[in-house]
Amino acid sequence: METLHEMFSPDFLLRNSVYVSLLIGAACPLVGVYLVLRRLVFMGVALPQISSCGIAFAFALHTWGAVPHLENGENTLAFAGSTVFTLTAILVLSFLERRGRGLVEGRIGTAYVLAGAWSVLLLVKNPFGEHGLLDRLKGEIIAVSNSDLAWTAGAFALVLICLLLFQKEFMLVSFDPEMAVTLKKNVVVWDALLFLLIGLTISMSVLSVGPLVTFGFLLIPPLIARLFAANMRQFALLAVGSGVASSLAGFYIALRWDLPVGAVDVALLGVVFAVMCAGKKIFSMSRPAPV
Amino acid sequence: MTGDILLKFDNVAVGYDRHVVLSDLQLALPQGGFIGLLGANGSGKSTLIKTILGILPPLGGRLEFPSHQGRAPVLGYVPQRESLDSIFPLSSFEVVLMGVCGRVGPGLRIGAEEKNFARQCLHAAGAENLSRQPFAQLSGGQKQRVLIARALAARPEFLLLDEPTAGIDAVASLAVMELLSRIHREQGLTILLVNHDLRVMQKYVNHVLWLHEGRVLEGTAHELLNRDKIAEILGWQLH
Repeated sequence: METLHEMFSPDFLLRNSVYVSLLIGAACPLVGVYLVLRRLVFMGVALPQISSCGIAFAFALHTWGAVPHLENGENTLAFAGSTVFTLTAILVLSFLERRGRGLVEGRIGTAYVLAGAWSVLLLVKNPFGEHGLLDRLKGEIIAVSNSDLAWTAGAFALVLICLLLFQKEFMLVSFDPEMAVTLKKNVVVWDALLFLLIGLTISMSVLSVGPLVTFGFLLIPPLIARLFAANMRQFALLAVGSGVASSLAGFYIALRWDLPVGAVDVALLGVVFAVMCAGKKIFSMSRPAPV
Repeated sequence: MTGDILLKFDNVAVGYDRHVVLSDLQLALPQGGFIGLLGANGSGKSTLIKTILGILPPLGGRLEFPSHQGRAPVLGYVPQRESLDSIFPLSSFEVVLMGVCGRVGPGLRIGAEEKNFARQCLHAAGAENLSRQPFAQLSGGQKQRVLIARALAARPEFLLLDEPTAGIDAVASLAVMELLSRIHREQGLTILLVNHDLRVMQKYVNHVLWLHEGRVLEGTAHELLNRDKIAEILGWQLH
């Protein structure tokens, strides 16, 4: 209890990191719902990696003198690189997926390994970017400034508002795009907007916690929710609930036993998922079989 | 039937990815008709229906709606149910509500009136008891009823169904056809459905499009679905 108190104390150095962690625990599962339902889980693996590559590329541009030096501009540079790479990748990959040609998994897998390899190559000779990005790649949640927290909260609020406002359109084009066409909905535009929101969420999340934790929160909470949800509202609420609860508990455990927060978060999500799967199995076995 | 033409094909070519499946189509679908679309697998039935729906653009020619002063009528669509992914945890009511989305603008919530109408559509399709059940867990016949309710929720002027009785048992299949027949009778709705079963077509439809060897044969059910004509089209020897 003392540790929990400390986490939310105004004097706690990593207090903003706790808030960012909770925001990511809520936002990533919410957009992850669409990745899982549209069977784009592999895209959820590749995009955070591509986002990291974008950060590495932006730092490399800085080292090569291609972008001007900015006072405290590290995060701006990282955000720009991450966002441009993520949005470009998500729009290209989703366009190719909709065309239905070629091997989708092959394209996404190739994008993933290439992004990973280029991240290393761009960082290996770059003392400016190496330190910050390596921390992120390891899932270390680092100190977050007030302005970074405000930017993250603002971006996630925008994502949340759009998801709530356009929920029926996003669900229609995801579930039955052909029906959407017959109802005069512009499927390309709605898909593009949804993917922009997913891309923005991933960019912001990778900047704060790295690709591993981002993918963990994109994927596992929706899978937990899917075990129990009977409708879309329950699905979204359970995904967000399990994400927020795991990020809070993960931060607590990491702080209490001095462990890396990101790795603890993902490991904890895995444990929760396993327990929920077992619980559901036991529950369904204990119920009488339908006659 | 009113005698008006709902949809006219003017030298239309249909296909996908620049691959022409059917060409030079000159057809006239009657307003208020119960139209059956027949044909072997790969004959272009789904391609034709998707072109009418606007999902695929025609590769040539023009589609016209003379009885609607050129504007396209409101379409209701029942896809093949296998095309809908069972991973979505949607209740049947949530599926039916999608039908009203064409009338509710982006960013607006679906109001109580539209929700009530969606319930009425479930009732009309004989699926009111399925409202809260997960769509993915329904049987084939139940899913078909919910999808018909969803199509009705769009308040369609033209209802198109892609193999609504495929893969469901005979009793459920009969129930679906009786439901469609009742909707046609009571609402005067123009219905176009794809079906492989000649006996079902003989019993229910009044107008037939038969895709055969790259051609479209068009006529009344009486003209095209009699024993001799069927034998002639399929090249059977009758004894």
